[in-house]
Amino acid sequence: MHVPDGFVSPRISLPALAACAPLWAWAARRHLGHASVESLPVVGTLTALAFVIQTLVIPVPGGTSTHLVGVMLLALLFHPLLAFLCESLVLLVQALFFGAGGVTVLGVNALAMGLLGPLAGWLAWKALRRPSEKVALFAAGWLSTQVSTAAVLGALLLQHRLDPGYLPTPPAVLVTAMGVPSLAVTGVVEGLYTVFALSLVRKARLRGVDD
Amino acid sequence: MSPRALLLAVLLAAPGLAPAHETLHEIERGRAIGVKVYEVGEVMAGAPYQVFSPADPRIPWQEGRTDRGGWLAFVPDVPGSWRVKVIDDTGHGIDLRVEAGGVPAAPAPAGSGAAFLLRPLLGLAVIGAVFAALYVTYRRKGTRA
Repeated sequence: MHVPDGFVSPRISLPALAACAPLWAWAARRHLGHASVESLPVVGTLTALAFVIQTLVIPVPGGTSTHLVGVMLLALLFHPLLAFLCESLVLLVQALFFGAGGVTVLGVNALAMGLLGPLAGWLAWKALRRPSEKVALFAAGWLSTQVSTAAVLGALLLQHRLDPGYLPTPPAVLVTAMGVPSLAVTGVVEGLYTVFALSLVRKARLRGVDD
Repeated sequence: MSPRALLLAVLLAAPGLAPAHETLHEIERGRAIGVKVYEVGEVMAGAPYQVFSPADPRIPWQEGRTDRGGWLAFVPDVPGSWRVKVIDDTGHGIDLRVEAGGVPAAPAPAGSGAAFLLRPLLGLAVIGAVFAALYVTYRRKGTRA
């Protein structure tokens, strides 16, 4: 799902980084500090878990593959802004140690996978949790994947529109290659993972996590 | 197994089990064979070409277009007589045989072995260190206050 380095030009990557900078500062000020000491071990563990989840590749017919994001748990247990901060750290580590994504596209990927997806999932969970908690959790996981994918796709399509020479892949190929796996596979697995993992975390009654 | 133990087991086992979602590369010099094609003294730039391996003379091993300098290059994986066909849009071209000698054994692909397993663990260690540092810092500040 990551936008790799070099796939979008500075016309997109720089504004994205500029948008992220104040959000990172705001998120750190709001969610990291003395008041958060109790929850930091859980937040750190769930961030590490998200990192692991993103290394698990799900093969998709057609020779491609997809992966979960896994930070929806942080958005649901704490706040979407904290999920954004933690996913940004995961993306930075992936860029530095794996060559997945990249430092120049960190802003684009962080906004797509760290902010917009978890925020959409969190809003869906808020809206649906009264009728059914499990359905709300599944919807949160599924929707977060679709919104993250749509945001990444939007950045790539915008790049193609701005300068097809920079990203020559035709829009139809981009939409098919990203949209179909996301709708059919990744979203469903992310939804199931969210339901399963959140129930485990709640059962564990971890310190720093509100019931 | 308790939920905590299950979480811990997944966390520790998964990086070793899974291939990372990454794209790697390696640079090796001196293995490729380059062919430069001319037509009446002019280089054939941007001309379509096909390369056939001696192991399968029917299905092209490689297809593409020559570069601006009229060059094409391929990396033989078996020794023998490789067929190179270059035919431009007007139907002119060349069909030649290129002998490839002893092909060195392919090196282990990048990302294999212990380093491949260590990098995810290194990533986990970095994340753990960041949160441990935050925890210790804020805890100390809280004790002093």
